[in-house]
Amino acid sequence: MANVIMASSKPLSPPLSISNKTPKFSIPKTLTLIPQFLKNPQSISLSTSTLKSLSLFAATSLSFAPPSLAEEIEKAALFDFNLTLPIMMAQFLLLMVGLDKIYFSPLGKFMDERDAAIKEKLSSVKDTSEGVKQLDEQAAAVMRAARAEISAALNKMKKETQAEVEEKLAEGRKRIDAELQEALANLENQKAETIKSLDAQIAALSDEIVKKVLPV
Amino acid sequence: MNILLCSINTQKGLYDISGVEVGQHLYWQIGGFQVHAQVLITSWVVIAILLGSAIIAVRNPQTIPTDGQNFFEYVLEFIRDVSKTQIGEEYGPWVPFIGTMFLFIFVSNWSGALLPWKIIQLPHGELAAPTNDINTTVALALLTSVAYFYAGLSKKGLSYFGKYIQPTPILLPINILEDFTKPLSLSFRLFGNILADELVVVVLVSLVPLVVPIPVMFLGLFTSGIQALIFATLAAAYIGESMEGHH
Repeated sequence: MANVIMASSKPLSPPLSISNKTPKFSIPKTLTLIPQFLKNPQSISLSTSTLKSLSLFAATSLSFAPPSLAEEIEKAALFDFNLTLPIMMAQFLLLMVGLDKIYFSPLGKFMDERDAAIKEKLSSVKDTSEGVKQLDEQAAAVMRAARAEISAALNKMKKETQAEVEEKLAEGRKRIDAELQEALANLENQKAETIKSLDAQIAALSDEIVKKVLPV
Repeated sequence: MNILLCSINTQKGLYDISGVEVGQHLYWQIGGFQVHAQVLITSWVVIAILLGSAIIAVRNPQTIPTDGQNFFEYVLEFIRDVSKTQIGEEYGPWVPFIGTMFLFIFVSNWSGALLPWKIIQLPHGELAAPTNDINTTVALALLTSVAYFYAGLSKKGLSYFGKYIQPTPILLPINILEDFTKPLSLSFRLFGNILADELVVVVLVSLVPLVVPIPVMFLGLFTSGIQALIFATLAAAYIGESMEGHH
């Protein structure tokens, strides 16, 4: 960059000239001013000899300046207002409209919409946490219901099995009772028969005993 | 006479060394009026840079921003932040004005420091930052004046002019004077800073071509950015001031 500036900066142009198209520092004026200072030496503490040399220096340095330089001084226009000003205003306004159309408005709108979407999503996340709670409660309720159902079914099954068992037990008992009765009846019958047979045998035996004991 | 010749030579030498072109313009004639062509050319380049980069970066906005879009979003948030701080809650409609002001001045200043304008030789004058010219800065400052008058009048109607006798009618001349000093200080601050920055760099480069001017160039970049921010912030502050309620 430095080289670029070096290579292109043009020499032979005035560094400090703020005057407009008509320079205020014209040579005759300065020359007429100097004698006035010379007439009133008390106001300036410098000795006349130094003043003279200074004034000579000023006068000569301005008058001996090359003509091209003087011309350049005349043209140097730092505060040169012209049609550039309104053109720049118009350009700026056009740029403003253009940037608003392609940059500020669309991107701003896009960013706002994105912010709104993110906020909405965040709030919806909060909502789902409530939903999770609800679901939790629902699950607990379902579990409770299932447990109750299961215990009811269990009870019912228990009762049923008990009833069945009891029934079977009763049946078994009845059957055993019947068999017992039958067996008892059989026993009685056999007893009676045995007694009967014994009775008959008793008579025969007694006869024999009598025969043996009593010799005839 | 020896001393005189010597002084003449040193003066000529100084002119040669400095080699600075101040107040040299390339003139174009448009319908009998003169314009500074070099200012217009560089301002067109600046405008092209701004519009082009904005079009490329914001062409297809993504939800998760990538490089260019990210940068432009950052810039927009920065501008919004500046506007909001200075203007208040009703900053929305002023974002384009403040933003364009900031971006145009910033890119202009930096283009003067970073773009190798001086490769292109003009027949007269030289290409430099557009803000290097008093016409540009005064144009921007006057637009700022118009903007804050418009802001005040559209917000409060004719009662806006009541601010001139606030807090006491004694301050009326000072309050009126303020309307002139505001654009004057705005334009001259920017103009002076940019021109001085470029002059310092050019003079230093001509004196010591190596290394030494580099810190000054960086200082120039810094100053340029600060000046853009100051101009935009002050414009926003003036607008906010004319919109806020006076009792």
